[in-house]
Amino acid sequence: MDYEPISVALKFGFLAVLYLFLLWIAASARKDLRRNRGGDGGSDATIASVPSGSYDAWLVVVKGGGLEAGTRFDVFGGVTLGRSGEADVSFTDRYASGLHARLYPRGDRYFLEDMNSTNGTLLDGGAVTSEVEMRDGSMIEIGDTAFRFELDRP
Amino acid sequence: MSASRNRELLALVPVALLLTAGFAAVFAQNDSQLTNLSLSYGLYFLAICLATHIYIRIRLPNADPYLFPLMALLTAFGLVMLYRLDSELGGELARDQANWFVLGLILFAVVIQVFRDYSVLERYRYTIALISLALLMAPRLPLIGSQVNGAYLGISLGPISFQPAELAKIGIVIFLASYLREHRELLVVGARRFLGITFPPLKHLGPLLVVWGAAMFMLIFIRDLGSSLMFFAAFLALIYVATGRLSFVIIGMAMFLAGAWVIYHTVPHVTDRVDIWLDPYQDPSGAGYQILQSMFAMADGGLFGEGFAQAMVVIPGTNSPLLPAAQTDLIYTLITSELGLFGACAIIATYLLIAARGFKVALMANDGFSKLLATGLTTVFAFQAFVIIGGVTRVIPLTGVTLPLVSYGGSSILANFLLLALLLLISDRARREAREGI
Repeated sequence: MDYEPISVALKFGFLAVLYLFLLWIAASARKDLRRNRGGDGGSDATIASVPSGSYDAWLVVVKGGGLEAGTRFDVFGGVTLGRSGEADVSFTDRYASGLHARLYPRGDRYFLEDMNSTNGTLLDGGAVTSEVEMRDGSMIEIGDTAFRFELDRP
Repeated sequence: MSASRNRELLALVPVALLLTAGFAAVFAQNDSQLTNLSLSYGLYFLAICLATHIYIRIRLPNADPYLFPLMALLTAFGLVMLYRLDSELGGELARDQANWFVLGLILFAVVIQVFRDYSVLERYRYTIALISLALLMAPRLPLIGSQVNGAYLGISLGPISFQPAELAKIGIVIFLASYLREHRELLVVGARRFLGITFPPLKHLGPLLVVWGAAMFMLIFIRDLGSSLMFFAAFLALIYVATGRLSFVIIGMAMFLAGAWVIYHTVPHVTDRVDIWLDPYQDPSGAGYQILQSMFAMADGGLFGEGFAQAMVVIPGTNSPLLPAAQTDLIYTLITSELGLFGACAIIATYLLIAARGFKVALMANDGFSKLLATGLTTVFAFQAFVIIGGVTRVIPLTGVTLPLVSYGGSSILANFLLLALLLLISDRARREAREGI
């Protein structure tokens, strides 16, 4: 029996199924992309841009902490503050705990929470006991160190 | 989001079908008989994929639905081509590769189990960087190192031989992603303008340059040029995504060109590779043989190819290869020869789709580390495909990296399934958070 036609049929069949498969995936991926664009007003390739649903925010050093005043820390995605090298915003202050406090986003808002620090955290002069929402221009004080919070909400 | 899991399940069926058709075609060609053996191979393959699918369904219900089927498709391509080589040359490459595939999926499952919270990787970044550098160093060590074609790519411990660069690439990407996540802001803020170009601050770039420079040095030391190109691409992509500064990328490219020029003139191994790339006819039966045969074989393929198991891989009547290293370096050539331009485009399209899905994962991720990690992993994966496909088609000098998941090689398969596991972990978290409206 001659298998030549079967071979040829298999080759073209293989290519046909392969292309249908790839087209199907490409089409679904495109649909996905369009749905996303409608959802959150477009996204950029760099993480420096606004991600889905949350805004960029910064901590600006006002004084102390062994940091230069005016130094900006990106808090996008949440950061920890403290004396330890493990903290995202690490500074030297003898009243600061290793991991002193944390800032984190939920939706388009940012919150501050004291992480059971020894000497506590002040937000605009008031002690932070549970999670508090951050507003643009809020002042965080830890020991002798002060940060200003900046929220880039359009 | 079980709809996406169902789509994954549905996508695995055509992949298994393609594997079956491929095996059937090889059988028909070589043994002139169609048995139901190819069907049982296809069913085995489908069963393994289904087991993995069920595992993903339980562990990562929100993960990207297309990444796994696309990677399974590449593996299926590899298995068919290796089986086709076995049937002509004798050997058990396909069986070994199938075993590695299963081991790769077991590793995939273990990684998903252990690193469910993959942010722990960030804490061990210096350890990971050190281990990766040690792995790159290993092939030059006496006793376990081994040299192939002037490059020190593998280590052999008794019966097991292993290419450490494959695993090291993932380690280095994890390090770069976690380091840049922490320091990206400082890189942008401290940047200085000089002669109209913005330079990143050296203080914060230091540790990055040390680890990355060491990796590049090791790669030149072990003469793994293809991998050094991949590392460089991943490094630039990550710097760009972390800072959004095109000028850093341009500086990086300039550094690369300068470095490449120096290395071309000082390392004889590199000089040979580049000279053969520019003019393969200067030594058509020696150094230029592989690349020339590769181009002729691809031309033979035409639009639709010669058909499975039809390409000539050995010179008739002898044992000398017409396509040297057809199971690794030249597997893309073999596919082009047997399935033609359309088959080759399909392979490239598969890599493009994987890259697109990978960057999609990076876009959806909510925290910096996940974004950078997904970008880095996708870049090394896609760039590895570019380096070897570009190499055999004479777009860039031919260097011996594997075509991810298609080429024969255990460490390559294991490393790429590790990479897939990390991508799916990131994707699962990102899509879960998107769904819960965080």
